[in-house]
This record gives sequence, structure tokens and C-alpha cells, in this order.
Amino acid sequence: MAEDLVLDTAIRDWVLIPLSVVMVLIGILRYFVSKLMRSFQVPDHKIVKEGQVIVRARNLRAAANFIPPKSFRSRRVYFSNEENGLLFVPKGQAQNAQAQMFSDPNMAMDMMKKNLSMIIPQTLTFAWVNFFFSGFVAAKIPFPLTQRFRSMLQNGIDLSTVDVSYVSSRSWYFLNLFGLRGLFSLILGEENATDDTQRMMQMSGFGFDPSKSLSAEKDGLDIVQHEWALPKFEHRAEAVLKKLVS
Amino acid sequence: MAGHSDSSSSEKKSSEAMNDLPIFSAENMQNNMKVIYYSRTFMSIIGGVIAGILGFTSLMGFVFYFLVMAITSFGLIAKAKFSVHSYFDSWNRIILDGFMGGLMSFVLFWTFAYDIVHIF
Repeated sequence: MAEDLVLDTAIRDWVLIPLSVVMVLIGILRYFVSKLMRSFQVPDHKIVKEGQVIVRARNLRAAANFIPPKSFRSRRVYFSNEENGLLFVPKGQAQNAQAQMFSDPNMAMDMMKKNLSMIIPQTLTFAWVNFFFSGFVAAKIPFPLTQRFRSMLQNGIDLSTVDVSYVSSRSWYFLNLFGLRGLFSLILGEENATDDTQRMMQMSGFGFDPSKSLSAEKDGLDIVQHEWALPKFEHRAEAVLKKLVS
Repeated sequence: MAGHSDSSSSEKKSSEAMNDLPIFSAENMQNNMKVIYYSRTFMSIIGGVIAGILGFTSLMGFVFYFLVMAITSFGLIAKAKFSVHSYFDSWNRIILDGFMGGLMSFVLFWTFAYDIVHIF
């Protein structure tokens, strides 16, 4: 290594460690705050019913081969029957309009809350880092990078001959931002972001989702070719027993 | 630790060309995936600290990361008693899943440990 800078111990004590600690704490804080702020939406019972019907149809499709052909067909007719089948949705339903109206205030507020709770701490921390910790070399990354990264990583440092591996605290902030996600998922159970998106997907059954997924399920169910697996199981049992006996 | 998921035959025993359907309990599969993810994250953090303390730089460090991932994969396979198909639906899951996710954590802790030990 051409120049091996020796950096002040004070930098380590007062920049690296506090920054990491602060980011971990902010992440934990955000997790708990989002848990507290999570307004419990009373799920519309119609939506829940439709969701359950979809789950039932999906199970039927997945396990179709384990029931005899006649019972499969009768179940299928129950679902996709034209008159009163559960999956059949008449074309011009008013459900869309109503669901959109319903989804607008509640869901929009929820999504905004979630986005804000992610963006605000990040912005604040970034501004804090820039204000306090700029203008000096903060850390050395153990691997070399090309010159093109210099402007990105060495933002506050105005010397152009310093090795690109010596980075400013802004890049330490970004490194922490990405690297601590794994740590959070370990200590917080489920990671914050994915938990939110899962819940959002569950609750976002409003609007066009029901009718579209209903007809999708109906089509899927119509497509299934039923092939009863029982005869094959008998063959397989016979083969296994034969192996045991012989 | 890994949940045992139900799986009917995965080998073709009959002379017909139809496969039996393997049944996977989705909940157990998800649990197994989570276990893999946690193991990899943990190992990449520990690996990062070790690489930093030992003073690996650039290429050696990344080689070390792949080594740690390979050890993790091997450990997981050994824990599944080498019968991967009864716990997961394909080989790729246990070997490749979560590979890149651990990379960022590895680099973070590698940088951290390297700086603390060698530069300061």
C-alpha cells in the first residue's frame, strides 16, 4: 500500500461507533413506532369472505388429484357455476366504485404513514451526518475501487490524491444503511419493511382485486385436468411392499 | 430446527410417465426459508468481523465471503441430513438463497472490524 494513512483514534470513537449505534437505535425506534401507530382496520366482512373463497378454490386446485373425479367435479361446479357459483362475478358490479371510495381515505393514509415513517428518519439522519461529520476521512474500505467512485464516496474530502479506499462519513452512512438490514432482521424478528408490505398486500384486497382474482381463480379451476392419484398410490404401495418382502 | 415438510414420492416408481405430486406444506417451507436466511445473515456478520480482524483485503476478503457461504451451505445440508428434497423443493434454495443479501452485511462488518483493528 503506497500511503497508509494513520487516522486519529478520536475519529473511531466519535464517528464510526456513534453513527452505527445511532442507526441501530433509530431502526429499533422506527420498528416500535410503526407497531404502535398501526391502526387496526376492521376488515370488511365481504372482503374477508371473498378472500376465504379464493383460498378454498386454490386448495381445491392444488389438491385436485387426491379426491375421486366425481367429487372434484361437483366441487368445481359449486365454485364456477354460472348462476350461483361462488366465483362467478357479474360483469357490471358496483363493487368497484364503492371499494375505491372506501380504499381511498383509509389505505392512502396508511401508505402515506408507512412511507413517511421510513423516509423521515433516513432524511434526518442523513442531514445530521452531513452537517456534523463532513470534511474528513472517516474510514477505509478494505477493497480498492476505481477512480470513478471517488466523487461518490469522498464527498467532503477535497484532496484528489488520496486513495479511493479512504471514504468520508457519508459513505459510511450508506454502508450502514444497507448492511444493518440483515442485523435488524435478526434482532427484530421479522424485518420491518417486509412485514409492512405483507400486511399491505393482505389488506389491499379492496378495489379491483376481488373481482379480478375471482375470475382468475375460476379460470384456473376450469383448466385443471383431473387425474386421480389413487391407482398410482396402490402401485407404489405394492412396489414398496414388494421391496420389503423380498 | 428445520421443519419437516410432507413430501410424497419424488422418484418415479411406476412405469407411467406421470410424476406423483409432491406435497409441500407451505408453512413449513416458509419456516425453512427463514431459517436459511437467518443462518446466512448471522454467518456473514461473523465472517465479516473475522475477515476484518485478520486483515484480509480486496480479493482475499471476497474469497473469504464465498468460503463462509459455502460453509454455511454445507452446514445446512448436513443439518438436513443430506436429504434435501424432504425439506426444500430444490437444491438451489439451500445453496444460493440469500447469497447476495448477506454480502452487504459482510462488507459492513468487514469494514468496521478492519478499520478498528488496523487503521486506528
